[in-house]
Formats: sequence, structure tokens, C-alpha cells
Amino acid sequence: MRERLAIIDGLRTPFCKAGGPLAGSSADDLAARALRELLVRTDFPVNRIDEVIVGNVAQPIEAANVARVIALKAGLPITTIASTVHRNCASGMEAITTAANRIFSGEGEIYLAVGTESMSNIPLIYGRKMTQLFGNLMKAKTFGQKLQTWMGFRPQYLTPIIGVQVGLTDPVCGLNMGQTAEILAREFHASRQDQDEYALMSHQRALKAQAEGRLGEEIIPIPVPPKYDAMQSADDGPRANQDLAALAKLKPYFDKVAGTVTVGNACPLTDGAAAVLVMSESKAKELGLKPLGYLREYAYAAVEGRRMGIGPVHATAKLLDKTGLAMRDFDLIELNEAFAAQVIACERAFASDDYARKHFGRDKALGAIDRDRLNVNGGAIALGHPVGATGARLVITLLRELRRRGMQRGLATLCIGGGQGAALAIEAA
Amino acid sequence: MAEHMAGNAIRTAEADSVEGRHDVGTGVVRRNDKPAFTLSVDGEGVGKVVFDLPGEKVNKFSASVILELGDLLDALAKRADIKVLAFVSGKPDVFIAGADIRELQNITIAADAVAKARAGQLLFQRVHDLPFPTIAVIDGACLGGGCEFALACSFRLATDAEKTSIGLPEVTLGILPGWGGTQRLPRLVGPKQALDMILAGKPLNGPKAFKAGLADACVARAFLDIELPRFIARCLTSEGRDALRANRKPHGTSKMLEGNPFGRMLLYRGARKLLRKKSRGMPAPFKALEVVRQTYGGGIEAGLQREAEAFSELAPTSECKCLIDCFFASEALKKIEAPKSGSDPAKAMTSAAVLGAGVMGGGIAWLFADRDLAVRVKDISWDAVAKAFHTANEYNRALVKIRKLKEGDASVRMQRISGTVDFNGFRHADVIVEAVVEDMGVKKKVLAELENHVRDEAFIASNTSSLSIGEMGRALRHPERFVGMHFFNPVNRMPLVEVIPGAASSPEAVAAIVALSRRLGKTAVVVKDCPGFLVNRILLPYMNEAAWMLQEGGDLELIDKVMYRFGMPMGPFTLTDEVGIDVGAKVAKILAMGYGERMNVAPVLEHISHDLKLLGAKAKRGFYLHQDKGRRVPNPEISPAVKSVRDKLGVTPRALTPEEILDRCMLTMVNESARCLEEKVIAKPAFLDLAMVMGTGFPPQRGGPLHYADQLGVKTVVDRLRRLQDRHGMRFKPSELLVGMAARGDRFFSPASVDG
Repeated sequence: MRERLAIIDGLRTPFCKAGGPLAGSSADDLAARALRELLVRTDFPVNRIDEVIVGNVAQPIEAANVARVIALKAGLPITTIASTVHRNCASGMEAITTAANRIFSGEGEIYLAVGTESMSNIPLIYGRKMTQLFGNLMKAKTFGQKLQTWMGFRPQYLTPIIGVQVGLTDPVCGLNMGQTAEILAREFHASRQDQDEYALMSHQRALKAQAEGRLGEEIIPIPVPPKYDAMQSADDGPRANQDLAALAKLKPYFDKVAGTVTVGNACPLTDGAAAVLVMSESKAKELGLKPLGYLREYAYAAVEGRRMGIGPVHATAKLLDKTGLAMRDFDLIELNEAFAAQVIACERAFASDDYARKHFGRDKALGAIDRDRLNVNGGAIALGHPVGATGARLVITLLRELRRRGMQRGLATLCIGGGQGAALAIEAA
Repeated sequence: MAEHMAGNAIRTAEADSVEGRHDVGTGVVRRNDKPAFTLSVDGEGVGKVVFDLPGEKVNKFSASVILELGDLLDALAKRADIKVLAFVSGKPDVFIAGADIRELQNITIAADAVAKARAGQLLFQRVHDLPFPTIAVIDGACLGGGCEFALACSFRLATDAEKTSIGLPEVTLGILPGWGGTQRLPRLVGPKQALDMILAGKPLNGPKAFKAGLADACVARAFLDIELPRFIARCLTSEGRDALRANRKPHGTSKMLEGNPFGRMLLYRGARKLLRKKSRGMPAPFKALEVVRQTYGGGIEAGLQREAEAFSELAPTSECKCLIDCFFASEALKKIEAPKSGSDPAKAMTSAAVLGAGVMGGGIAWLFADRDLAVRVKDISWDAVAKAFHTANEYNRALVKIRKLKEGDASVRMQRISGTVDFNGFRHADVIVEAVVEDMGVKKKVLAELENHVRDEAFIASNTSSLSIGEMGRALRHPERFVGMHFFNPVNRMPLVEVIPGAASSPEAVAAIVALSRRLGKTAVVVKDCPGFLVNRILLPYMNEAAWMLQEGGDLELIDKVMYRFGMPMGPFTLTDEVGIDVGAKVAKILAMGYGERMNVAPVLEHISHDLKLLGAKAKRGFYLHQDKGRRVPNPEISPAVKSVRDKLGVTPRALTPEEILDRCMLTMVNESARCLEEKVIAKPAFLDLAMVMGTGFPPQRGGPLHYADQLGVKTVVDRLRRLQDRHGMRFKPSELLVGMAARGDRFFSPASVDG
């Protein structure tokens, strides 16, 4: 990038399991709350915002171009433009990097980048045959034609297609995300025990971060519809009474016969939103703003869809090439926990000379990750993974932790359904 | 934009008519220098009458206009060249606003009322009998007499403009449609739809009028220039006219219901039941229902006569006069500019904040969000903040339920409200309303802290119901920006706001808060900074008097029933329960401190609130036990509690008659109202009465406490107060104003506006 992207401030809603306290809020409602609060707290004049860019995976059918809906609901002027971006699980990061691109190509100066997801509200849909039947019914004019069309109806047409399930399946390799994690578990020999131990660590770290108020700093409480009689102030994923025995009892979910991935060592379906205010470093200086930190550089890389969980390693390799940085230059790392198996696979790939040789033409491994520097406040296994929002959350969480620790540089990286990875080099102010 | 274009459309039509005049010649009626009606006929036989009342903003039927219309009809009858005639308005946003209400106010005897009704009926019958088809082109308000005129035309063309509203709101003024409305509307749209419109007095917009069959077409205002000639062309052929008429036939369930006597009986019975619930104590809707029931299906002439007769039974009554007075008072209040205001200071406001997330704070936040202001609500904990969201959501749900609000809009409004537990975001606020607990110490502390977090230009208001604004303002470095802004509970339904300038408040701040109240859709009355301000100062002694009566042996339920029958929305004990006994007792004490002996709190109220700690409806226990769905039974704890107070004070209980109950309740209010006028708490008697109607639900058909005094006679009021003073002490001592008025034989309002 030409210069660094200043991240002035960032906030998020609590992340709550699908069907939980945020289920009554749509993706646009969640994001609008985060955005309005961000604008209030940064005290930034709304008419200076050039565009609102929103990353969202399962875009609500009732809010086409959800970004525009969010912008208006958050109180931005009707003259503010807004667009929606999509890079599956990295959509929240895509919003930030798209903003960076627009800024450095001179299209605008000040952007709001948002990630949002309401996995509670992903609809069930009619299958192709039922849809066709409805279509024919609409075309039928006479009663006879209508009757004839209905004669073609079969009860199994009513079996719904579950939006979430289809959405989490790669249509090219035909595998569900959980199944891709099973593939990596085998490739990198991440045992059930390894995975469960990792999952437990995620919960423990998240609980500690919650108790010490570290997560609270980035969260705005959200009123809970439909009755609005309570505020949701915290993530509801971390489990206080989680232990290895309980985790070991769970049945494998995706490969029920020989599998290792359970609902306990995978991230849950989650609702949530996160928002950041960004501009160029020089603009922030000119306006006399004190940014939370900076995005120095980013990279996206692609791998086979069936190995999508390894994406972070490939994206990071590209990022290192682009910046000349080494893994040891990152004081802290946020590597999204879609599945424990996939995180462990990444760890092992980062540490492997063979992997580096085979995939990146490097003699030496990219560099082992010290777990003391990895996901120090817990990750998606405990906190949840609202797919469109997570990318933005990783950046916010990482920046705030770097500041707390007085550290300099961090890596936020994420695997992407369909076989990609994202990696962002983040620097504290 | 649309309005502008529509304006052009009308002007274009006028330009055409000028040419038309040139071609064919005109029959213009001139009673004054400038006529109200201008007729033109083009070469095709298409006539156009433009109604443009000189010197007025709106078209209305005054006596002189009625004369002119008569002349116009004479002229029209002689024109053989006219094939079709369109009535259009020369005023933007108004077709015909109705009859002149001032003339209505002058009707004092039944014979005048009959004559007035008959004159209009005959005139409109002549419109109806014109030998060519007539079209009312309704682009704007078409109400009351205006609607009845349109009904007399052969066809009605409405526009979809926001300001287009067609209806018969007469019952809201205590009368019924007296120029054929009760006859022609049921004939046109069926008795069900007609009763819906007449009994509630609610007008329809263009599209709804079209669906109801009231309008024969509804067109976009922007395309009126294209659509009107097309509609006229349809009216020129008998096939076109038949097709338009065929469209009006009612269908579906309403046809099944109305088509037979049994169905109609059900319909009338249902309507009456609804009226008993919604129009308690208002004679006009019942009378209107009676007229429709008796005359529907009969001949028009007999029907019109019955209508005129029923009109004469309403127009001279005090109920009608009181309602009209209320209407004029509220119109007058809207026009009063708060002192020294330049441009509207509320228009520029975009953002507000509320301190305190209780029922009032939540309600005020809802109101801001509802009127397009972003609002920040602060309380001490997030759980407390949630209550504001809850209240706002409840109010939105109520609107969604009656289809006044769409789900999406409700969601957008909820998004305008954001919560905080610190002063974060308060720097954005153009205005901050304080609604924390009713305690001078707490309020001062909160205000002092608040001032550190707001912009210098921001206005600060307090929603106190009784505490001194001047005193509260001392907590601020800049008390000149601080004003009292007293909303009533529930905020979504109570139309009144008391605006209270403190000793240090600047005229600009008062003007801003008045303007803000208006932007929020409320009626603002500026009142003096005295304990209880206006409404509570008058209402609390009434609630207190009820407690005195209870203590003397009066029956709790009877006292409530007497006042409910009088027309109050609920009796004094039910009201105390709803307000909260603790809140009521607190305010009563503040008033007792401010006004001394005459406002001493009845010992029984003190006992129930202080010793028994009963709270009222919010805790389900008060004077009544409050059960689900609004049911309540007297609380058995009350009777022994009252007895113990009586025993302690050595009071021998005695029964109180309904007459005594009513007198003591009402005269207490009248006396305090007179004191408020004496002390210039409010500018005018009419404003005082309106404030009581809007702030307490005092029955509008009874006008207010001062109208009540006039109806009783001020002398009688003073005599009875003196008798009560002898028996019960100084709190009934008639105010000097009343005594003076009684001696002079004065009234609060001119005789024309009460029973004559």
C-alpha cells in the first residue's frame, strides 16, 4: 500500500449464538447499532463520511445492498453512498481493504468499514421443484390450468433447503466446511484430543478476557428485541463449566463414523456486527485524530476448496513476501478459529520446513507460532463466528490488545470458505 | 415538488377558463368586488367553476358564500350550453374546508339551527338537481360542508396528494352533518362505511376514498392536468357515466351485512356498542347513528328533514359550544408565537438526549425518535437504559397494531434511540430533557454534572411535574438556556406540554422549547413557575379532596363512579392508582408546602401511602387490586385503613350523596383554576380550560373547569364554596377573583359560547 491506513476507532456488538438474544435483530439492525455508536463515540461529523462499505455473507433478502440500509438506519445523511462487499468469511476484512483501495486510488478520503452477520435470520427456502410449481401457478390462467399444475405437486417438494447449511457448503468441491476441517485434521494429524484441548483453551482465554473487562471495551450493549426489555452486553459463547471430559463426550458432527470435529471444537453459528472508521494516515494527521492503529499491508491467497482452512498460511506467506516482514515480527496473532483442527493445521504448516518448501519455494518454515501470542483473548470457538463480521472483529480485538500490551505489530488472518485466506499486517499507533 | 406541480395544474386550468370566457362569455356572479366563484365554459360545453374565496387562505361556506352559490346556481340553470361542469378550487391543498365554524357558534336556538341546516340542504339539492353532470375535483381538504357539497355533485375525482382528505368530522365539534351528509354518504358508500366515517369523524385520503366508493377516481396530483380532461370526457357520455356509477357497488361482506334488515340491525348494534366505549358522554355521534338508522332506505326529503331536526337538537347545546371553544382555543394556541422568536429554532434540531430512562424518559425518547430526532438516553445502569427501549417499543407496537406504523419504520425509529451509562455522545445533543426522579436535590446534582458534557448552545429542559424551575436552574452555570418542559404520562397519548420559564430562562430558550413541543406534535402552553404549574396544581387538590371525602365516610367506588359518569376518563382513586400513590403523595406534599393549608394532604392519603406503602397500579395494589386485562376490585385493605384514621381523628362517618361528591370535586378544581388566573399562571381562561382537557382528559364537551363554572353560574359557585367552607374549612374559601366576578355578575366566557 502507498501509505498506512489509519483505523481511528472500532466497536462491535456482542457476539451471540444463533437463535439467542440477538436473533430478533436483522444483520442491518445489528450493524446500524454498532455504526451509530461508533459515530457518536468518535464524535466524527457524519457528512464527512465518503462511503459506508459493508461485508456481509448471507445478505438479507429484505435489505438488498444491506450497506445502504445500514447507513440510513445508523443516521448517515441520505447523500452518503454505500456498497456491500463479499469475500465469504473474510467479508469484514474485505470491507476494510476495499476502503483502503478506494482511499489510495483517490476515490474518497474517509470510510466506514463494517462487517455484519445474522446467522439466525438466514432463511429456509423452497427447493427448485416447488419454486417451479409456484412459477407455473402464477402463469396458469384458468382454473383447469391451476388444477393441473397442483396435480404435479408432491409432498417432498415441501422439504426446505436450509440456507445456513447450503451456505456453509462449497458447491465446487461439494464439501461442508466441517468436512474440509476433517481433511486438514487428517493431513496434519490433529487428533481429537489436540482439537479438544485447543477448544478448551479458547474458552478459558475468552472467559478471562471477559472477566477482566478486555472484551467489554470493544463491545456496545444492544437492546434485545422483540420486547426490548433487556440489554445484551457480553458475548454468550464462552462456557464457564467447559472441561475436557465434557468435550470428549460429544459425537463427531460432520463425519459421524471416523471423524474428530465436533460442535465443541468448532465455532458456533453466531450473530454480530463490527465497525471501524478508517482514513489514510496522512488524513488522520491532518485532522489531528489519534488512531487506534494502522493497517500496513494485506494479502489474499487461494487454495483448494477442500483445504480451505489452511488459507491463512498461504495468505500470510504472500503478506510476508509483500512486506519483507518475518513471522517473528508479529507480537500478537489473531488467527480465526473456524475449527480447532484448522487452527492446529495452520500452526503445523507455519512451523513446517517441508510445507514452506513445497508450497512457497522457501528453504525454511515461515515460522512457528508461539501459542502465548496466538488468540490471547480466545477466539471464534468460544466467541463465535458471525461470518461477515469476524474479519472486522479480529482487527479491532488485535489493535486494542496491542495497545494494552504496548506492543507494535500484529497479524490478523482468517480462512475463507471456498478456499482462500486473508492476512492483514496491523500496527499499533 | 409534487405540490408545486399541482399548483401549476390548477393555474393552468384557470388560464384555460379565461380563454373560455373569451370564447363563449361568462355568467359570473358578483356579490362583492371579487366573486368567490368564477364560471367559464369552453366551446365543447365543458364548464368549470373555480371556487376561490377572496381574502381567505381556505375555501369555506360562510353565509355570503352560500348566497353567492345560490346566484351561481340560478345562472347555471339558465345555461343550455353546458354539457358537464367541474368544480375546482383556486386554493392550494384545499378543495372546501367546510362551513364557517364561527357562524355555528352563534346558533343559540333550535329554530335558527333548523333554518341554517335547511338552507344548506336546499342549496345542495339544487346542485344535485342541475340538468348536467357535475364533478367535484378534490385536490386537498374536502371536509364537513365541503364533503357534503361534493356528495351533491354527480361525480368526485380525488387526487392522491397527502393533503387530500375527504370526510365528515362534524361529530368532533358536537354536531352532525346537517347539509345532507347523513343522507347522501350512506346512499353512496353503504351504511357501514358511512357510519365508520361519520361516527369517528375521521376523513379518508384519496386512495381510500376511491376504494370506499366515495371518489369515483383517484389520480396522481402531478398528472391532474392530463387526468382531469380524461375524466371529464368519460362524464360526457352516458356509457362513461354508467361505468363510473357501476364501479361504486359495494361488494363482499359489507354487501351481505347491509343488504338486509337483519344485517343492518347487527351493524347498528355494533356501532352503538363501539360508541359507548369510545364516545362516552358525547351526544353527537349517538344522534348521528340514530339519524342514519331511522332514515336509511327512506326518501331523501324525509331524511333531510330528520337530519335538520337532529342538527337543531345538537347545535345549540353547551356540549357543542364547549367543543367549538376547545377547537378555537387550540387553534389560537398554535398561532401564539413564544416571546421574541425569529425563525423556528426547533427545525434545525437533529439530535436530542434524555436523562433518565423511566417511563417518562422512555416515552420522551420515543417521541423524539418518532419525529426524526436521534436521541441518546442515559441512565445509571444498562438495565435501567433497557426500560427506555422497552417503553419506546411498546408505543411502536401499539401503532403497528392499528396499522399507523409499518414494521420497517418501527425498526428505523428504534434505531434512532441509543443508550449510554455515561455522558458519551451528549455533546451532539441540540436539546437535553431531564427526566430523573422527582427530587430537587437529585435533579440539581444531575443538571450540574450534565452541564459539563453539553455544548454551550444546547437547550436544557426539565420534565419535572411540580418542582421549581427557577430553583433547579441555580444548579447551572447558564440557567438562561434552561426551561421546564412538562410532558404528561403516557407521552404517546397525552397531547399537552407545559412549558415553564424559570426566573432566569431566556425568551429564546422558551421559544425554542415551545417550538420543539410543536415539532413533537404536542400543544404547548406556557405557564408560570409555581408549585405544580397549572395542570397538577388544579388536579392534585381534586384527588386530595376525594381522599378527604373517603375519610369522612364517602364510598370509594361511588366517588369514582360519580366522576366517571361526569365524563372524566377515570375516577380520582383510579387515577391516583394509575399515577402511583407514592408519586401522587409526593406531589401533594410539594403542593402543600407551596400553598399551605388549603392543600394539606388528607391524612388518609398520607396513611395509605406512608404507612401502608401501597403504590397503585404499577404494583397491582392501591385503592384497588389491579388484575389482568385492566380489571380491578376495591382493595380490602383500604376500608380498615380508613377506619383507623377516622378513629384516630375522632371522625364519625357519614354517607355522601353523588351531588355533594360532584360539587366538592368540581368546585375544588374551579376554585384553584380561578386562583391560577388571578396569579396569571396562564394567559387566558380558554387556554386554562384547554390545558385541563388535554392534560387530564377533562371531558371536552364540558369545556373545562371554567366553562363548568360559567354553566353553573359564578354566583352559585361562590355560594356553594362558602357553604363548603363553613363545613369543611378554609380550603374551600372562594378565591377573590370568583367573589368579585359573582358580585359583578361576570362570566369567564362570552355568553354566546355557553348554554344560551
